[in-house]
Amino acid sequence: MSKKQDTIENVVVCQGAVISNRLFEKQENRLLTLLLKGFIVYLLAMGSIGFYLSSFNIGYNALLCHIVILGMSMFCAMLYYRLLVENLGYFLLLIVFAGLVFLFGDYINSGFYAIVNITVDNAAQYFDVDVQRMYNERIGNRYVTVTFVALFIGIVLDILLNVYVSRRMQYMTAIFIIMSLNLIPLYLVMEPDLLYVIMMLAGISMAVVFRAGKHYSPQVSIKRDSRVFKVKGKKKREIEYVYDVKAMLQAGVWSIGVALIVATAVSTVKPKENFNVGYQGNKYKEISMAAASTLLVDGWSGFYRKQANVGGLDSGKLGDVSTVYLDHQTDLLVKMAPYSTDRVYLKNFVGVQYNPYGNNWTNIENVKAYDGLVATQEADAMKNAYEEGGTDTAEAVMEIRNVGVQKELIFYPYYTQDIRFDKGNYYMTYYPKMKGNTTKITPEDYDYQPYIDEDLYVPEENREAVQRFIMELGYLGSQDEIVEKVKQYYQDNMPYTVRPGKTPRRADFVNYFLDENKKGYCAHYASAAVLIFRYLGIPARYVEGYAIDYGQILDGELEENIKYQDFYKGYSELGETAVVQINVTDADAHAWVEIYDKEKGWYPVEVTPSSSEEEDTTAFWDEFADFMNDGDEDAAEITDGQANFVISDRLMRNVVYVILGVLIGACGIVLLWNGGKKLSFVLQVSRADINDKLIMKYSLVTKRWRRKNKEFANQINYRQQIEWLVGHVILVNPNAQRERVEELQEKMIGILEQAGFSNQNISEEEYQFVLKYMKFDNHNEWI
Amino acid sequence: MRLEHIIRTIGYLFLYAVNLVLYLFLHSHFHFIVLVLMTIAPVLSIVSLLVLKRYITVELNVASGREQYGRQRDEAYFLLKIGNKSLFVSLDTKIKLEIGNSFFGTKGVQQLSVPIHMKSGYEVELPVIATLPGILYMEVQEIRIKDMMGFFSVKKSLDVHTELSVMPQSLQEVSYEKTAIEQGMLESEESSKRGNDFSDVQEIREYIPGDKLMSIHWKLSAKRDILMVKDRVSMSDRQLVVLPELCNVDITGLNAILGSTYSLIQQLIQDKTTVRLMYWSISRYEYEDLRIDYQDELDQAFVKMYYETCYGNMDEAASHMALVHPEMKAYLHVSADKNGVNIRVRENI
Repeated sequence: MSKKQDTIENVVVCQGAVISNRLFEKQENRLLTLLLKGFIVYLLAMGSIGFYLSSFNIGYNALLCHIVILGMSMFCAMLYYRLLVENLGYFLLLIVFAGLVFLFGDYINSGFYAIVNITVDNAAQYFDVDVQRMYNERIGNRYVTVTFVALFIGIVLDILLNVYVSRRMQYMTAIFIIMSLNLIPLYLVMEPDLLYVIMMLAGISMAVVFRAGKHYSPQVSIKRDSRVFKVKGKKKREIEYVYDVKAMLQAGVWSIGVALIVATAVSTVKPKENFNVGYQGNKYKEISMAAASTLLVDGWSGFYRKQANVGGLDSGKLGDVSTVYLDHQTDLLVKMAPYSTDRVYLKNFVGVQYNPYGNNWTNIENVKAYDGLVATQEADAMKNAYEEGGTDTAEAVMEIRNVGVQKELIFYPYYTQDIRFDKGNYYMTYYPKMKGNTTKITPEDYDYQPYIDEDLYVPEENREAVQRFIMELGYLGSQDEIVEKVKQYYQDNMPYTVRPGKTPRRADFVNYFLDENKKGYCAHYASAAVLIFRYLGIPARYVEGYAIDYGQILDGELEENIKYQDFYKGYSELGETAVVQINVTDADAHAWVEIYDKEKGWYPVEVTPSSSEEEDTTAFWDEFADFMNDGDEDAAEITDGQANFVISDRLMRNVVYVILGVLIGACGIVLLWNGGKKLSFVLQVSRADINDKLIMKYSLVTKRWRRKNKEFANQINYRQQIEWLVGHVILVNPNAQRERVEELQEKMIGILEQAGFSNQNISEEEYQFVLKYMKFDNHNEWI
Repeated sequence: MRLEHIIRTIGYLFLYAVNLVLYLFLHSHFHFIVLVLMTIAPVLSIVSLLVLKRYITVELNVASGREQYGRQRDEAYFLLKIGNKSLFVSLDTKIKLEIGNSFFGTKGVQQLSVPIHMKSGYEVELPVIATLPGILYMEVQEIRIKDMMGFFSVKKSLDVHTELSVMPQSLQEVSYEKTAIEQGMLESEESSKRGNDFSDVQEIREYIPGDKLMSIHWKLSAKRDILMVKDRVSMSDRQLVVLPELCNVDITGLNAILGSTYSLIQQLIQDKTTVRLMYWSISRYEYEDLRIDYQDELDQAFVKMYYETCYGNMDEAASHMALVHPEMKAYLHVSADKNGVNIRVRENI
């Protein structure tokens, strides 16, 4: 675009009549229009944020968000005042934004995770599913972190919406931006507060009306000046106003008013609280809920990973899995009568030989030394105890049907004595061991070899790593104490994660876990623990299968047609219960350790820490914070109280730094801008001839008066301007002598007209005369 | 319905449909509110349009406080005042303005888009430059008001008119056969001063106080015993008749004729010379004869002349002179040809 396009020429209507370009000299206070558009951006941005947060009833400092987002909206809107301002403004914004991220990365990150966790929580409740993948919030005070993230999103929305609304009134895009995420709470039947509904509807209504009016664009020309009118079309057959703040304000009031009245009236007549009373739902949403549920539980991968997860959990293969993906589909259908609150282990794979660098376990069935040794002596002992009426003994039956796993695999509980197959189901008779059951299973009594050398073998390649680990454990104590110590060490130092990452090539699974990665899922803990126990002289094996928790048993489906006595006889910690069918999914797949005790025989030991997953530092903000050396030191300073807005000193300091930085930056820009303009003016004046010099100085006076008085702005030539000033400023003074004043006035007009329109230069004396008298505020010269 | 409105309506219906589907799918309170709003808003918008159409008024005036007549190539200001007594507002009202020069028969249409404020309307001062003298007029024949949501626009027909007489631009120097006039003037004045009068006697009448002594017919007065005077047609009277041709075959030529005539008379009256402006009225088939001594009279004469109908023959006015005014010996004929304007002393033969 050339500068030429900024000059509007006369519009020739016909031969003999021309509309003068003076029409286009009329100017509008564009700042007000920009602020009005900024207000729309505020309504949309804050409305959108408040919509989401109030839907989930998430607490945050709403007042602070309103103030900051309103201010930011206005700032963004004003960037369109001049092209230069826009570029400088966005640059400043970028700096502030980067500063905020640098200083408050942890808060923002934690806020994001808090919102995601709350959303997932609500979704899990709505879909009635169990979601394991919760994100770790480094900073526990959600009130603070959500406030930070609301401000952060607010700024991003301000910038985005400003582009689409202030410049183009693209309300369709704005709707997409503000509504796309807000469909989540609506899908979960969570309704927002009325205030934010009104804000959003008012903002959109204003944008729709302004867009329809077509007079909203600030870009009259490349210079973005403030002309009221512009010529439209090549043929110049239409002159249209650019924008009119009064009309826009009135239309805006109408839009807000209608949105307010409609939303309030509808909410009064049909409140949101009982809006869905009697609603039966629709089948399409129900269909979508299956997909949404998969998405929630498994993420996007749930749609393409249709095979049940088997990595490392029923084959003894280790280390090939970077992230554990669960499809939550049923693997086994288990029918049993609950008898205890303890976890029920269904074992399938028993690993005896660990193969370092091969990263797998050899199944007991493939270990020659065990040929002929595998027996059911422990189950026999339990059976005998039951039959002899031993304390807290029982006989139970478990029916299993393999649904999502290979049909030939057999999963069985500890102390299974007999397995019977029938029509795809298999029935196991087993003798559960409860706390009060003190049955001893000594090899002497039952004449069997309980373990072999392999059950104590630690490969050479793993010894150093295992030794280092044991040294860190310190004093060990008894077998039970060793188990407890290892478990506690894992819990304290080696966080559980479903995303441990693959074991690198040419690395050993256990060594990598113990020495480097120090995080993992059950297979990691169990494999390492087996070698640790063996190193300490405890016979141990690695076991894979399924673990059924009591909670799952309670969620099971009651089998009313099956008699309890057919499935359970004897003592039950829970008393007489009923037979239930339990859906065992791949989320229940598990690896654990079984160790040998000369009295208890082989029994399962749980070493995997609880799954309070520690967040990986792969998130952008974390990496950013790490890069900037902004560690966890703040985290401890934040209280855990949800309702208290407790801010640490460092946080307060950072807030002050940012505010000061913004203020100083803004002041600097204003000073530079004004200074630059003044310098440029002084330079121009110094280069100008005496006529132009006078006119330039006079223009400063008129500019000031135009700002001060609207009526003065309508005085378009020197005569009108001077006469107005004399009439309204000088002659109101009772001491003014009209004749003298009028004489001075005429002389002044004459000089100005000569300076403005004539080729003949005015004299120095005339120049000084006008300079002396054009300060109308100073009456002394005139009177 | 215009394309713009159709596109907008389709867009709105699309949004409505999307919202309806979302409502049926999610059954959310929010989408229910949006549905109600989206149903009510267009109705309200149309109602506002009808109310606006009823209450909008248009006034058009030459801006007050300005000079009585416009001046060719100077700006003239027309005040367009749109009244609105209703509480509704329009962001896009288009006014169809016809602007033209009725004397020259030129006109053009300009569309003006303005907002309409609630309870007040809108005012705009339009600066128009008349590049031709004559009657500069402005008319509003229709306004088109668009509703707030941009679905419809209604037309309101009007007949609002205003005009301004525009005087020709004064020329610094008018080239004409000065010698003939000046010579004639000088001769006449000198003869009069000497007592020799070469002028023809028009009639003889009784003395009226104020008559010049030189005009007294002494011989006849002696016979009749009452003072009689010779009423003469002076040379200067005959020479200062200015006769412009109002021929509009060529607009530039007519513009030059008016400009030259105006400037010529202006110069003459500045020299304290009385001028008779005569022009041929083709509608009444007679000459209009206007005596001009002052600037005001000149302007009024031109205003009167602007309401005449122009004709196609460049010699039309002169061709009737011998027949209608045989007593006229000579006059200053202002005409134009392809070389420009011609101001010549023309013998009335």
